[in-house]
Amino acid sequence: MADRIEEHPILGVVEKGRKVCFSFDGKEIEGYEGEPIAAALKAAGVMVHRYTQKEHKPRGIFCAIGRCTDCVMIVDGVPNVRTCITPLKEGMAVRTQYGVSDKAFEEQ
Amino acid sequence: MNSVNDRSRDIGEYVPAEDDDMLICRCEEITKGEIRRAVHDGMWTMTEIRRYLRAGMGLCQGQTCSWLVKGIVARELGVSPAEIEPATSRVPMRPIEMHIFAKEGDTDEE
Amino acid sequence: MKRYDLIIVGAGPSGLSAAIEAAKKGLNVIVFDENEKPGGQLFKQIHKFFGSKEHRAKVRGFVIGRQLLEEAAEAGVTVKLNATVIGLYQDKEVVVKQGAGIKHYKADSVVIATGAAENMVLFPGWTLPGVIGAGAAQTMMNLHGILPGKKILMLGSGNVGLVVSFQLMQCGCEVVALVDAAPRVGGYGVHASKVARCGVPFYLSHTIVEAEGEEYVKGVTIAEVDDKFRFIPGTEKHFEVDTICMAVGLSPMSQLLKMAGAEMTDDPRRGGQVPVCDKYGRTSIPGVFAAGDVSGIEEASSAMIEGRMAGVIAAQFLGYIDKEELDKELAELDKALDGLRQGMFAPANRGKLIEKTEEGIDISSNLLKKGYVADDEIDRFPGVTHKKGIHPVIECTQNIPCNPCQDACPKKCISIGDNITSLPIAVYEGDCIGCGMCVASCSGQAIFLVDEDCGDGSATITIPYEFLPLPKEGTKGVALGRNGHVVCEAEVVSVRSATAFDKTHLLTMRVPKEYAMTARFFKEAEREVSR
Repeated sequence: MADRIEEHPILGVVEKGRKVCFSFDGKEIEGYEGEPIAAALKAAGVMVHRYTQKEHKPRGIFCAIGRCTDCVMIVDGVPNVRTCITPLKEGMAVRTQYGVSDKAFEEQ
Repeated sequence: MNSVNDRSRDIGEYVPAEDDDMLICRCEEITKGEIRRAVHDGMWTMTEIRRYLRAGMGLCQGQTCSWLVKGIVARELGVSPAEIEPATSRVPMRPIEMHIFAKEGDTDEE
Repeated sequence: MKRYDLIIVGAGPSGLSAAIEAAKKGLNVIVFDENEKPGGQLFKQIHKFFGSKEHRAKVRGFVIGRQLLEEAAEAGVTVKLNATVIGLYQDKEVVVKQGAGIKHYKADSVVIATGAAENMVLFPGWTLPGVIGAGAAQTMMNLHGILPGKKILMLGSGNVGLVVSFQLMQCGCEVVALVDAAPRVGGYGVHASKVARCGVPFYLSHTIVEAEGEEYVKGVTIAEVDDKFRFIPGTEKHFEVDTICMAVGLSPMSQLLKMAGAEMTDDPRRGGQVPVCDKYGRTSIPGVFAAGDVSGIEEASSAMIEGRMAGVIAAQFLGYIDKEELDKELAELDKALDGLRQGMFAPANRGKLIEKTEEGIDISSNLLKKGYVADDEIDRFPGVTHKKGIHPVIECTQNIPCNPCQDACPKKCISIGDNITSLPIAVYEGDCIGCGMCVASCSGQAIFLVDEDCGDGSATITIPYEFLPLPKEGTKGVALGRNGHVVCEAEVVSVRSATAFDKTHLLTMRVPKEYAMTARFFKEAEREVSR
């Protein structure tokens, strides 16, 4: 997990919750309980959270504080979940959002 | 009357620009060209632009693009952004699922 | 519907400060914040704050956040998190979304302390994943322990852009360039200098032409702009980056006040749409007050004082204190706030080009264009003196309201005087013992201990060091100049760490004596490769 800061020169050792498994588009990945879903995805190298409705353009983390809504994904079947402020739980099913669906545009 | 509301003012025709396809409203995917054209269609206030194009009416409610839209409208009208009438502020300030909104007040007092 | 004497929206520096003051006066106070954690931006601020003791200077932002939360708890303030205020109605009825419910509360007074939102600028590719706000970078690295990227370009040379660039390097990211369309660095020179000496090139009068990549950012092209901000053909520069970070200003989040019917104005000097209010935050609605960035963009230090003002004013509004007590308290807070609003970066000086310091010294033009004071400019500042033996070299070259260095020296080698914005003077008679308290106390990391001639052809330079891994005694590497370029070989002769230094380590390096006044940073030999 090269994208995680293990020890910070000012903040010290970064405290994390329990390690948990969740799925991203059906693939099992690991993260820490309670951290934002977006943080766990970022640590796993996931950049694209969704594709837009009209232009089908990729979007990812932008504001990271729940304002811009660019990082929304389908979490446990619910669309438009702001992953940057939604805490990760064991077993969550996180899916890329295409428009407002979890089906790729050509399947919609 | 300030110059922004002076509808007799001639702001000229819409002239296409190179960066008209730049996306401004990230949520509703509205471009700079659409906003510029809307100004020439007579939409001079932020509220008008919102209703006409839905720019700033998406999930984030204009949190990101408001000041960009304002800048574009101001430029098109040849005024300072400070003169552009801001959009109405109303409840809810943040996106809320309808089922929560529907239960307003329907919760226990602490 | 539950009633409170005072409802505060926003648990950042101003909201919490307002809550503490009001609760101390006996008001029944509740603070709502939409975030999962309180403190606003304070917990993302890991640098030491500027100011004087009364402004909590040299304390790191996140520590101030903890202190405020403790004080709030002691004062009996209730802080409700994950509680989004979605509406402010007539008669101070506050509508709050909490979990899956919406509740209404009645307040007798309200403090709006909702802070600000980040501005963004447009360029082709600005919607690509990997283009983020500076606040997002801070949130990821300082709250969640996640690297925002590996190779990053920063757009914006204001204090946010500078501070976040430094923070990115502290957690191990590479900042490939700091870019600003403005012709001059917008933030404090000391913040710029600590970034520049690490080797980050500054591109002023430059902006982003395009972010490249299909699915996410893979590169970025910048180009120089003329005085009308038009690209100058042929000046394009390309960088391979995975992240572009925008720090291009903030806008007040004042919508709640507008909703409540407060008179609003659009004031570019305050950052956009703000309530019409007096200097203490009284809006046009009696009993509704504004504090912090929502009423004009400033630093967290001033937000805290504005919050305290709003707190005591609310107390007087509801009769908990009388006019006399209010005036007494406000007089004190006024003084504290005025202290912060002085110097080159004072709100009144925004947008002005200042060419001379208060002392009449020419401001370094290199500092404003490239982020560092050039070697041939540094000697004209009063903190830079030469003497035999170890002594402080204070590279503080702009008038900013900050004075912890003056109190830090047990031997009184550093003097600022009563005017908090004066440039620190190295007192020649002072007998430096090399304790390093000044180095660690300088929030701008602008103080060095230098022994210009150790007698064996070498010089030693003690620098503040806040990176990992911490080099050890004997570590060999290179010394970098103020511009971040290698000036000579260097060896670490000591590394001192102490609780009093508060995570700023004092790294002393030995260099050939001719580099005593140019070597200002240390880079370990292998680290360059491994990074």
